[in-house]
Formats: sequence, C-alpha cells, structure tokens
Amino acid sequence: MNAERNKANGLRCREVEAKDMEALDLESVIERAQGHDTGALAEIYRRYARRVFGLCRYMLGSRESAEDATSEVFLKLQRSIESYDGSIPFPRWLLRVAGNQCIDALRHRQRGRQVIVEVEDGAAVLEAARPEPSPLGALISTEEGARVRRAIARLPENYRVPLVLRYYSELSYDEIAQQLGLQRDHVATLIFRAKQELRRTLAHRSK
Amino acid sequence: MECYSEQTCAIFADGELAVEEAQRLRNHLVTCPRCRDLVDALQAENRLLSESLREFPEEAANPTGLFRLRWSQVWGDFGVAAAVLALASMVFLWIDELRIPQALEWLNPFSLSGLANLIFNVSYYFAHGGAAMLDDYAVVVGCLSLLLLLGGGALLLGRKRLPQPGLRLLIVVLALSLPSFALEHRHGRDVTVAANETVDDTLFATGDTVRVDGVINGDLLAAGQTVEVRGTVKGDLLTCAQRTVVSGTVEGHIYTFSRSLDLRGQLGRSMYGWVQSLRVDSKGRVGDGIVVGAGDVNLEGDVARSVTIATGSADLSGNVGRELTMAGGNLTLTNTARVGGDLTAHVHHLQDVHIADGATIAGKRNIQVEVRKNRFTRPEFYFHQALWLVAAMLVGLLGLVLFPGFFQTSTQAVGSGWRSLGLGVGVLAGAPLVIVVAAITLVCLPISLMLLAVYLAAIYMAKIWVGAFLGRVVLRTGETTKLNWLLGLLVGLVILTVVGFIPYLGGLIRLAVLCLGLGAFAWQLYRASRTPTTA
Repeated sequence: MNAERNKANGLRCREVEAKDMEALDLESVIERAQGHDTGALAEIYRRYARRVFGLCRYMLGSRESAEDATSEVFLKLQRSIESYDGSIPFPRWLLRVAGNQCIDALRHRQRGRQVIVEVEDGAAVLEAARPEPSPLGALISTEEGARVRRAIARLPENYRVPLVLRYYSELSYDEIAQQLGLQRDHVATLIFRAKQELRRTLAHRSK
Repeated sequence: MECYSEQTCAIFADGELAVEEAQRLRNHLVTCPRCRDLVDALQAENRLLSESLREFPEEAANPTGLFRLRWSQVWGDFGVAAAVLALASMVFLWIDELRIPQALEWLNPFSLSGLANLIFNVSYYFAHGGAAMLDDYAVVVGCLSLLLLLGGGALLLGRKRLPQPGLRLLIVVLALSLPSFALEHRHGRDVTVAANETVDDTLFATGDTVRVDGVINGDLLAAGQTVEVRGTVKGDLLTCAQRTVVSGTVEGHIYTFSRSLDLRGQLGRSMYGWVQSLRVDSKGRVGDGIVVGAGDVNLEGDVARSVTIATGSADLSGNVGRELTMAGGNLTLTNTARVGGDLTAHVHHLQDVHIADGATIAGKRNIQVEVRKNRFTRPEFYFHQALWLVAAMLVGLLGLVLFPGFFQTSTQAVGSGWRSLGLGVGVLAGAPLVIVVAAITLVCLPISLMLLAVYLAAIYMAKIWVGAFLGRVVLRTGETTKLNWLLGLLVGLVILTVVGFIPYLGGLIRLAVLCLGLGAFAWQLYRASRTPTTA
C-alpha cells in the first residue's frame, strides 16, 4: 500500500519537476545539468534540440545524418556540459559543440581527410582587384527564403560548412578557423566565395 | 583615396576586420557613396542569410532526387548486398542444422523440395499477375491487421506519449501477439492425443503426423504432413498441412490451408479455406456452410446450409440445404444431388454445367456465362475504386494522427529512390522466408505471427506512402503540414490507381510501388528503433 503511494507520489513529483524546470532560467537549468540532473538535461534538449538539429541538417546535408549527429551531441552533453564555464552564452557554446560533432562526422565520412581543403590561391584573393559589386541583397529581396535555403543546402561542402558556422552558429572567423583547422584568412575567403557562389546560383535560377 | 575590395568590405560587414583597418574603412565610407552602398548591401545580405537559415532546408521533394545515384551509395549498396549474402549463407547453414520436422520440409525454402516448391509457386504467381493479386489480398488482410494495430495503438497509448514511434509500434504489435504465447504446444515426429486423453486448453501441435483420437476442449491449431482428427475437437480446427482428414467431430469451424481436406465425420459449424482438393465424404456432415477456394471439390455428404465455392471443377452428389453458389470451371450435379435453394453458377461456357436429370434443385437455376466484359464499362468498378481510395485515405489519416512523425518520414524515405527500391525488393521477398522459417523452427511462432501482421500491413501501407510522396512531388508542396500530406496522398493515390491499369506496364509499376513503399517502411522502422526523433 505504502509502496504504491510512494510510487504515485514519485510520479507526481516528476510531473511537477518537469513543469518547474520549464519555468527555471537557463543558468539554473545548466547548473542542475552539471550536477547530472536528468530532468535538467531533458529540459536543455527540449529547448535546443531543434536549433542543434538545424545546424547538423545544414552541415551534413541529410536528415538521417543530422538526426544521428543531434543524438550524439545530446548524449555527449551529459559529460561535456561539465566543461561549460559560462564565459560565452550557452546556445553559442552548444552550437560550437554541435559544429565540432558535425565536422567529426564529415571527417569520418571522408575517412579522416581534412574536411575543408584550403583555397588554392589562399590569402592572395584578399586584395584581388575589385569586381563589380553584386551583393546578394538586391537579388535576395525578390527570393523566397526557401529558395535561399535550398541553394545553401546545395553548396559544396567546402563553402557550405564555413557559411553555416558563420551565419547559423554565429561563430567568429577565429572560432571557425579553429574548428576547421584553417587559417583565419582562408576562412574569410571561403565565406566570401560561398556568397559569390550563392549569388551565382540564385541569379542563374531566377533567369 | 582608392576604394576597398569587395572582399574587404565583406569582412568589414561581418565585423571581422582588424580594428585599425576597420577605422580606415569607416572613414572612407563617409566620403564614398559607392562603397557605402556596397557595405549596406552586404550587411543586408548577411541579415537575410541569417534569417533564411532560421528555417531548415526542405526535404528532397524534387523529382530528380528519386533517381539520383551516387557512386558512394552504389558501393555502399554492394557492400550491404554482400553482407546480406554472407549472412544468408550462415543462416542457411544454421537452418540446416536445425531439426525441422520432416512434414514441414515442403515449406522450408532452404530444402531442395521446399526450394522447388517455392520457385514453382513464385513463377506461377507472377505469371498470373501476382503483384496485383498480392495487392488485392493485402487490402483485405492488411487492412484488418492494420486496423487492429492502429486501434490497439490508440487504446493502449491514447493518453501516454512514448518518445519513439518505432517503440510504440513494437509495443502494439507485441501486445497483439501476446495471446499466441498462451498456447499449449506439442511438437514431435508423431503427435497424438490418445483416445482416453482430454486436453482442456487450446492445443498447438506440430509434427509429421498429428492425430487426435481423444478430446480437445479448446481449439486445435495443427501443422504437419498429415493432420487427422478421429476424436473430438470442441473448438475450431485450424490446419496447415499437406493432408487434413476429419473422421471424428469438430464442433466449431474449420479454417484450413491444406493440399487436401477430407471430411468424413461431423463438422458443427462452417468450413473456410484454401485447398487444392476438398472432399466431403458420403458420411461427412457440415452443420453450417462451406466457403472455400479449391482446385477441385467433391461433395458427397450433407451440408446443412449454403455452399459457396470458387473452383476449377466441382462434383455434387450429396445434399446442400440451401443455396449453391459456384464460380470457376466445371460443375456437375449427379442424380443423387439435391440443392435446397437456388443454384447459381458463374462459368465461361454453358456446357461447363452438367445437371443430371435426377438431380433436385428446389430454387431457381441461375447459370451465368461470364463474358469477359471490359471492366472499365462497369459502374461497380468505379465504385470499388472509389471505396478503396476512401479507405486508403482514412487509414492514412488515422496513421498520421497516431504516428505523425513516422508517417511523414516514411513518405520522405520513399524519395531516396534506389535505396528504398532495393530494400523493398529484399523485404518483399525476404520477409515471407523469415516468417516461414520462424514458424517452422517453432521456437518463434509468436514472432512469426507478429511479422506476418506487420508485413501485410506494410504491403497495404506501401501505396499510401508512395502515393503521399508522389502527390508532394506533383503538387510541389515543400512544407510538410498534415493537410498538405493528405492532399498529396489523394493526388498520388489517384495517379497510382490510374497508372496501375495500364496493360502490362501497370503490373510492373504496382510492383515497383510496393517495393518502394516497403523499403521506405523498413528503413524508417530501422531508424525509429535507433534514434529518437529530434525535429
């Protein structure tokens, strides 16, 4: 009898806990998660799974791999969250972790080869002769978001990964360079070229 | 002062230019409207990129995606095929080691006779439009299994939400197959219920010969080379045997899938089945009616009520209490034959029906010569198709409500083209083998029953997933809302139904659709069991 009552109480407690957790601010949730509270980890999953999945989806190109990578990120989070020290906002930190997971997955897919190869003419491009200005903005205003997303998803990995890390994860050039093991200048060039390629694709398609 | 390069402006717009250089550029912007415009546009571009990336890219709904082939995938597929072959050869050895009752060897696809049987049956099957037949058969059986599955699922899990749709499905299937664990099981070379023995429960018996001389108070489920009931079965008799003989009494129904069924005793209720040869002996008596499909039928005994048979050849010399309805090849009524109601025969030629002068028919004689009329001119045909469509839509809706993620992702999985097709061919051909092997090794009969239910349900669902995918491609609906899914399903099903009636090609298309859908289902089931859904 008592056992049953305890069990019922336990269940009720868990429900209440889940509701409480939703109301908690992020710092408290993270603190609890660092103390291996499964409820807090579940809450982090609830809040950020979609965002992490989005990053993986863009970086890895397929839904299946993205789902795998997302699960992996949150599985590893149980341990890795201990290393979060609050020096940068948590979502940004989490996306950096997820980015690393994706890069690992891409590396694994390419059997350990470097994911992003260096641009052939490297830093020289930086001060190349100025081309005619053709920013995406003029074009993009007439495009639907969906077309842009499709075009990004179709970019070669070399361009897509830095672009997504920059504008989805909002990482700095330095952080991207560190994650990909590249020079900062190369990252700048890759992002610049990615945008050029994107403009070209969209301009070609809108004709 | 000279203008900056576009790339430098882009780095500046990203806020990543070194402090001093950024300051110089900022100073330049004050005096240079051209560079200012460029930086403004680049910043707007960055904002748009960030905004666009807030949503996910749409799943491959482009028609070209269906047959896009990558070499890495092809090699991957070769690898998988090689692994499957290797595994199959190991399973083959393992099965060879198992002690399969001699009686069931003809069903074992790994034995010589079983293989011959299988090859013969499969070639016959496809030569006679098997894919379409399988489809039609699955509509009935699969629909029933599916409704059971979904209904059970709704009852069991209506309130609680489990994290994984695959897990939910598994629980439902397990729950449904639980009753099969509760059977009394006897297995041996010769299984006998002796004359002085009484079994109070349902008995499941397998062996070369299964003989019941005593009394079984429950049902008898028997598989073997020969199943013989000389005693009494108070419940129903279910047999799967080369030869089934009932010379005693079965008080319930007989459901049979046998090469031959011989009724020499009493049957309390009705007989349903699919047999090559059915004989009701002059001493045999059926308390209710008969509904069977059979190669040849010989009725010498009494049937209290109506007889409905689809058969190549039927001979009647006994009594039928009420109507006799027959469709197929020949019908012969001898002098001693008696039909208490109407006689209805659907045959190809008038001379296929022979009624002896001494035969008694109380009701009307209704012999219909089936002239093969174009089915497209008959209104029933359209009614039937519309009914099928409505039923499929309802099942789709039900599935979407109960397992939304699973149904939508299965639809998407169809888009992976070759993988789904290849996997589907494997599942279509492989699942029956697994089911038969599971059943005859007797260890895992419940698993076999479970698999059968899922297999038939999946065959039925295949068209729904492929239909939904096709509809989405045709309508070009990128977003995956439920309404769009259903609308796509309707359009896709209509297209598939129409295309399915193209002579020759239609059959192939039906088969391809079946494989695609099955493959997508299998893949999704595999995925659902591996990872939690994240989106």
